[in-house]
Amino acid sequence: MSEQAKVTGDFRRASPWPVFIALGFALAELGIFVGYFAVAVGGLLLLGGSVAGILVESGYASSVWRPLAGLGIAFGLLGVALVASQVDPATLDALSVVTDPNGIVGRGLAIVGSGAILVAVGVTGFLLE
Amino acid sequence: MAGQQLALTVLMGLVLVGVAALLTRIEDWRQYTPLAGGSAVAVGEDTGYGHREKPSGVIRWLTTVDHKDIGILYGVFALLALAIGGLMVMVMRFELITPASDVVSAQFYNALLTSHGITMLFLFGTPIIAAFGNYFVPLLIGADDMAFPRINAIAFWLLPPGALLIWGGFLVPGIAPAQTSWTMYTPLSVEQAHVGADLMLLGLHLTGVSATMGAINFIVTIFTERGEDVNWANLDIFSWTMLTQSGLILFAFPLLGSAIVMLLLDRNLGTLFYAVGEGGGPILWQHLFWFFGHPEVYILVLPPMGLISYIIPRFSGRKLFGFKFVVYSTLAIGVLSFGVWAHHMFATGIDPRLRASFMAVSLAIAIPSAVKTFNWITTMWNGRIRLAAPMLFSIGFISNFIIGGVTGVFLAAIPIDLILTDTYYVVGHFHYIVMGAIAFAVFAGIYYWFPIFTGKMYQRTLAKWHFWLSMIGTNVTFFAMLLLGYMEMPRRYASYDMVTVGPLEAQTLLHQAATVGAVILLVGQVIFVWNVVSSWLDAPKVTDTDPWDLKQSGLFTREFGWHADRLTAADGGEQQTVTDGGEKHEATDSPQPGDTEA
Ligand code: HEM
Ligand SMILES: [Cu+2]
Repeated sequence: MSEQAKVTGDFRRASPWPVFIALGFALAELGIFVGYFAVAVGGLLLLGGSVAGILVESGYASSVWRPLAGLGIAFGLLGVALVASQVDPATLDALSVVTDPNGIVGRGLAIVGSGAILVAVGVTGFLLE
Repeated sequence: MAGQQLALTVLMGLVLVGVAALLTRIEDWRQYTPLAGGSAVAVGEDTGYGHREKPSGVIRWLTTVDHKDIGILYGVFALLALAIGGLMVMVMRFELITPASDVVSAQFYNALLTSHGITMLFLFGTPIIAAFGNYFVPLLIGADDMAFPRINAIAFWLLPPGALLIWGGFLVPGIAPAQTSWTMYTPLSVEQAHVGADLMLLGLHLTGVSATMGAINFIVTIFTERGEDVNWANLDIFSWTMLTQSGLILFAFPLLGSAIVMLLLDRNLGTLFYAVGEGGGPILWQHLFWFFGHPEVYILVLPPMGLISYIIPRFSGRKLFGFKFVVYSTLAIGVLSFGVWAHHMFATGIDPRLRASFMAVSLAIAIPSAVKTFNWITTMWNGRIRLAAPMLFSIGFISNFIIGGVTGVFLAAIPIDLILTDTYYVVGHFHYIVMGAIAFAVFAGIYYWFPIFTGKMYQRTLAKWHFWLSMIGTNVTFFAMLLLGYMEMPRRYASYDMVTVGPLEAQTLLHQAATVGAVILLVGQVIFVWNVVSSWLDAPKVTDTDPWDLKQSGLFTREFGWHADRLTAADGGEQQTVTDGGEKHEATDSPQPGDTEA
């Protein structure tokens, strides 16, 4: 095997991110579907962070902060949509849905939560830099 | 409950901190390697062999985006899955020695049955093909790497978590594994309360995402990354089949993914996609599943057919007979495979007119399959045949494929299917193909390219033992199953002491024969593992730049050109003895006209 390492073209052959993207995706999916919210939030954070990392590494972004915030906004919208789907269209009583979450709302809130954390990290990093 | 949630939260926090810590260590490593820093533009123009260091040890394998490394990862993963799926089925075969249920419980049998099928199809079959594809497509088409090396790595790394989830029901104490069988028919799969079933569905979804990412990568690579002298007319047959297969994956797997998500929603969130008496009803699942499922069997068989079409000419001393027609038949199978799914549903009471049209297309798909068989046989006809291990497995492939294919044609005839469906005949039919053909092609490929994977040569005698034990074991096991099917022995039963439809003694005897065959198969595979491991570790290095003497018959190809280059580069550029005295670089950089057609 050692020969294979040597006889390679002259471009990048290693990246730390793919493993974590896959792991984050798997944890997020598991957490969201089976309803382990801590796992869902953790998985989404790992996924968001690794995607931001790989984007910077491959030159599609110049720093991680913007992608982090962007992904956070996307997750947030997705989660809000899930929660909104459970709001009674007649009364538009969002508060009661959130204070007493059913299965779908709980999942939506987990996604919103991870989105909010990503946005917070992204914005903070952007401002400090 | 609250305590559990808290523990999970703490655990997730620790995982994230661990990841961050690991990343800083990797960052350290990156500071010492010249090219691994921020510069993102690949400098692929430099064709000299730079000694680009990869990190060492485990980190190297965790971070690699090199197509050959990823090919090896896929291969190791798939062979492990093959071993696990194989051991699962051995337990089942021992259970079936006697009519009564006396080795394991019927529930455990069902769980093994489910997991065996899913493991073999999604964790062995699809990944082992990706292993060959990743390793060889770039070499064969003259590309530096896959088009998207990082996506390639992501696709692979989705598989281990997917596998853990699929086996989750066995691994996590206290939850029961799924007992749905690999087809996951509703309403059973909606009503079964096991958490193991949810985990399995999630794992299956991950492997589907992985296969789709891989397929996109292969399509883009073959379209855009070909070397200057590789065009559609001289693209090799293996890459053609990988391209067609990737197209099939692109249409089939996302559909499976959506159907699975709907099933998960039915199970966990109270939707009614497959509920009895609602919209689609349980039959909707069968349509969606088999719209994926039948193309899936061709997803699994096309690249192995490509391997066979690639290897047979090289041990027959002739070009592949009717190359163009082999390509056309590949494409024809690819298209037709989406028009036959309801032949799995003949007995469900669908409209008889629909049934008849699906029967017609199913019979039609036998034609391109027969074209290929004809071409393989004519390639060997009057050839200079060398019965090395890759060739033995290729010939075994043809023989088993014919039996598997002909039994398939019988099943495609509605009146016959109505009698044989859900019997061991079906099990015999598809195992002649998945074991007798697909696995044989995989072995042929591993032996043929062993010098390239490992720089070593396998032990020939052991390889022949492996072949003969596999060939005999396969035929004993699965021919017995065909006969069991004629006796209408139902499939998927843990015990058969309550069966009254046939001569129980003959059935028991045939089940015992199938178990004996399975043991023969197992012995063969143990020899295989021993051969691979011991040759890899202990065999002397291959120094021959053309280990199969391909230049003699003008069938030398790029991947062995790469192998030859590697040998000379490792030697500091010293000239190697070249068997036909030709220029080494001629063979490497501009393939001889003869080999482009094979
Ligand atoms: C010559 C072409 C083929 C024809 C006409 C054909 C026909 C059929 C039919 C009609 C069935 C349904 C039997 C039943 O459940 O009653 C079937 C089952 C099956 N076939 Fe084939 N087949 C062909 C080739 C293949 C190939 C190439 C593969 C694998 C790569 C394959 C794998 C399977 C599998 C896995 C099943 C069983 C699905 C289950 O679990 O119910 N077949 N085949
Ligand atoms: Cu089919």
